[in-house]
Amino acid sequence: MPLDISQLVLDMQAAATSVLKADVTTFRGFSDRQLKAIAQQAELVRLGITSGQITDETREFFLDGLEDMALSFARTLRGLLIATVEKVWNALVGVLWKAISAATGLILPFPVLGELQ
Amino acid sequence: MMRRPLASLRLAALALWLLLSGCATQLAPAYDRAVVDGLNAAALETMTLLAAVSAGTEPASFAVREPRYNALIGRLDALALLAGARPVPRNGLTDAINAALAQRGGPPLDDDSSTAPSTHAIRKIAETVTKLRDTDRKRGVTAFEAMAFKGQIVIYLDQAITYENYLQR
Repeated sequence: MPLDISQLVLDMQAAATSVLKADVTTFRGFSDRQLKAIAQQAELVRLGITSGQITDETREFFLDGLEDMALSFARTLRGLLIATVEKVWNALVGVLWKAISAATGLILPFPVLGELQ
Repeated sequence: MMRRPLASLRLAALALWLLLSGCATQLAPAYDRAVVDGLNAAALETMTLLAAVSAGTEPASFAVREPRYNALIGRLDALALLAGARPVPRNGLTDAINAALAQRGGPPLDDDSSTAPSTHAIRKIAETVTKLRDTDRKRGVTAFEAMAFKGQIVIYLDQAITYENYLQR
């Protein structure tokens, strides 16, 4: 039985879109919150240092903290991205393998992304 | 007579299909309810402690707060261990990103993808509470410093909670 290519493309688009729509909303909300909070923290630290309310005891700690928070934010975004790649990959391969199995009657082993690299 | 072996074969094929279908590719660590619950509990405990010091503190009353600091730091350290104990599948995504960055002349991302990013965030929350405790013990904290400690902790908490919840897939 031949594959219905047009339907397969539509099914794959739907599978990827449903994952990406939800994930982009999460990414955007997280990024907006983090960037705003890090900027506010930077302003708070600046104000505290110039007014003397942040003392020598904690000044370096808060300055180092700003640098690390930005890096940690980037790492978290990368982690979210990796999880999204996993979700999209599994959604697409799920659609493809289901279609191929239905058309051929064969039982195909589910591919593993890491083995393709 | 041939129907029974055929039926068995079909059943075996179906079982194999279900087994293989369940073997989806995994690039990120597994969702762990214990980590999420632990994070939620630690967030509540942290915010309660921060509220208690929000007006600033004096070293004279530090002894009253010390057990709470220590309990919270212990809980956070244990949580970081729990979050970091999960295996993170090896993947070449960082290599691919770095190759693309190199082509554009950009600096590479570090290759610290062997631990979940939330593990680092939880460790940094524990470090921040430790610094708050030590400053409180030494000379007390100003209300402004209390606000800055809170700001830093909230940012790391958001990173850890967002990532851990995202792993539920």
